[in-house]
Amino acid sequence: MADRKPLYLMSPALAWLTAFMVVPCLLVLALAFFRRGIYGGIEYTFTFETIALVFDPLYASIFLKSAVIAGLAGLIASVIGYAAAYAIASMPARHQPMLLFFAVLPFWSNYLVRTYAWIVLLNREGLITAIARGLGYDGELPRLLYTESAVVVGLVYNYLPFVILACYAPLSRLNPEIAEASRDLGGSAWTTFRRITLPMTAPGIATGFVFVFVLSIGNFVTPALLGGGQFQMIGNLVYAQFLTANDWPFGAALSMVLIAIMMGLLTLQTFVTERASGARARET
Amino acid sequence: MSDVLLSIRNVQKFYGRLAAVGGVSLDIRDNEFFALLGASGSGKTTLLRMLAGFETPTSGAILLDGQDVSAVPPNHRPVNLMFQSYALFPHMTVAQNIAYGLEMDRMPRSEIRTRVDEMLEVIQLSHLSGRKPEQLSGGQRQRVALARALVKRPRVLLLDEPLGALDKKLRGEMQLELKRIQDEFGITFIVVTHDQEEALVMADRVAILKDGLLLQCGTPHEIYEHPESRFAADFIGVMNFLPVRVQGGRLVAENGNVFKGALPNGLGEGDEAVVAVRPERLRLGASDGDNSLTGRVAATAYHGLDLQLHLDTPNSPGPVLVRLTADAAEGRVYREGEEVTVGWSARDTRVFPA
Repeated sequence: MADRKPLYLMSPALAWLTAFMVVPCLLVLALAFFRRGIYGGIEYTFTFETIALVFDPLYASIFLKSAVIAGLAGLIASVIGYAAAYAIASMPARHQPMLLFFAVLPFWSNYLVRTYAWIVLLNREGLITAIARGLGYDGELPRLLYTESAVVVGLVYNYLPFVILACYAPLSRLNPEIAEASRDLGGSAWTTFRRITLPMTAPGIATGFVFVFVLSIGNFVTPALLGGGQFQMIGNLVYAQFLTANDWPFGAALSMVLIAIMMGLLTLQTFVTERASGARARET
Repeated sequence: MSDVLLSIRNVQKFYGRLAAVGGVSLDIRDNEFFALLGASGSGKTTLLRMLAGFETPTSGAILLDGQDVSAVPPNHRPVNLMFQSYALFPHMTVAQNIAYGLEMDRMPRSEIRTRVDEMLEVIQLSHLSGRKPEQLSGGQRQRVALARALVKRPRVLLLDEPLGALDKKLRGEMQLELKRIQDEFGITFIVVTHDQEEALVMADRVAILKDGLLLQCGTPHEIYEHPESRFAADFIGVMNFLPVRVQGGRLVAENGNVFKGALPNGLGEGDEAVVAVRPERLRLGASDGDNSLTGRVAATAYHGLDLQLHLDTPNSPGPVLVRLTADAAEGRVYREGEEVTVGWSARDTRVFPA
């Protein structure tokens, strides 16, 4: 009887997720096995053609490019975020909650507003250009806005707090005597970081990276605003299929492949961190 | 002086205006098993961390083989520390943990393997070399931590509360084990502990620290039998304290009882003092010694090896503890309220300022 209780408590959440997540996903999945009608709309004949189209070199290359941009954003965010988390975790314990609060503060403002702010910064007449001019540089300045780099910068900026939080957790839990033990046994500060601190906190980096990657690869707002329609990521492609090309089956097929990639990564990440944190829990 | 390995010279450590260690001088000999004994806040851990190199003295010097090492970082000192938490590397196996320090010395791989295998045999964990720390018991982790620090054959091995996390039975075994290993390796051991019994059992010499200062340093026998301060007398073992006043060069209790004992310097006519005597030095009957007191049995405690009597007496605010060996007690039953007189010799009497 006792082990039924959690089920009762979970049922509202399960019902909610089933109605508004599982069922819609299944509907989208079903859509992917039909084809677009001649005049738009959906032609309800079962086919694998739509899904096969996703693997057409044209679309596969967009997937690849999206993955590269998301990977780059994840990588840069991981490095910056880990360094920030490391610094916060090294501060006196009483200051740490406040610093974390500041790190997460941008989250509390609207995503669009934050992304628009970057347009102001990266614009041809924007702040960065003004600073360069102010410093006396009057040569040709490279284009900043509407480039792939701008998209990466925007993604890194928006998702950095995730990485900081994900890395802070294992860093703050580290027993400082473990790093001291490495120093005591002859390890330099760098060796200690490389062989002790980094491996012990790697699950946090993996979690942060996967978060940024998953959120970035499907993102369509940032590429639209900071990429200026110069290139497409998967999110933009899906958006276009549903809202402009009126090809819902193909949009659904793209979505499904995207979801499959994300699920695969999240499962892998959960499995890896589960193993590492499980080990730590038993050790203490 | 030639056999002094580690010389601590007037070392002070301030945190802000707070003195954690307030001027300690100690000479520790080569191949000695030395114990730093003190309660929490006594400065013993700070002193140990300065010896390991994790803290730098505010003033004073730490000399190892005559060389000042006060400012040498921990990774360049021939000193290793066994941490209280063991601080094993959780992502490495037992063998990798032990090998780590040797890898830092860039020792050839084959030699590392030999040394690690040797060490695993010393701690009798060869069969668990591939395990991760999380898969070991508390006692096994303690051995791995010891092996990891010892495998580098440091000049000095520091041990921070090495047996603190073990249960009582295992602690007894490990006390002897540590002594055996220290003897086998011929390395100077410095143990930090708050457990006076542990210090007495293991160490060749014990230093008692209090409030960042060195109170007394000597062999376990010296500090047990000849404590130089009331604190040391109280801290080590069990001690009865009887308040007295110095009158005409004699030690007189409030009820007129007079005790004999050597007066320490600094005690003058009219000063308040305490007479201290160990429970096992008290004998039944007044005739057996220079001093005596009479009290009523408040409680008895039978320990097999000995019988302990708690005596309520006008000579002491708390009960006086008497420890009779099984032979001295002769199977006699002491009832509560019964009047008992005990005596002891002036030789076994210590006198301290109150």
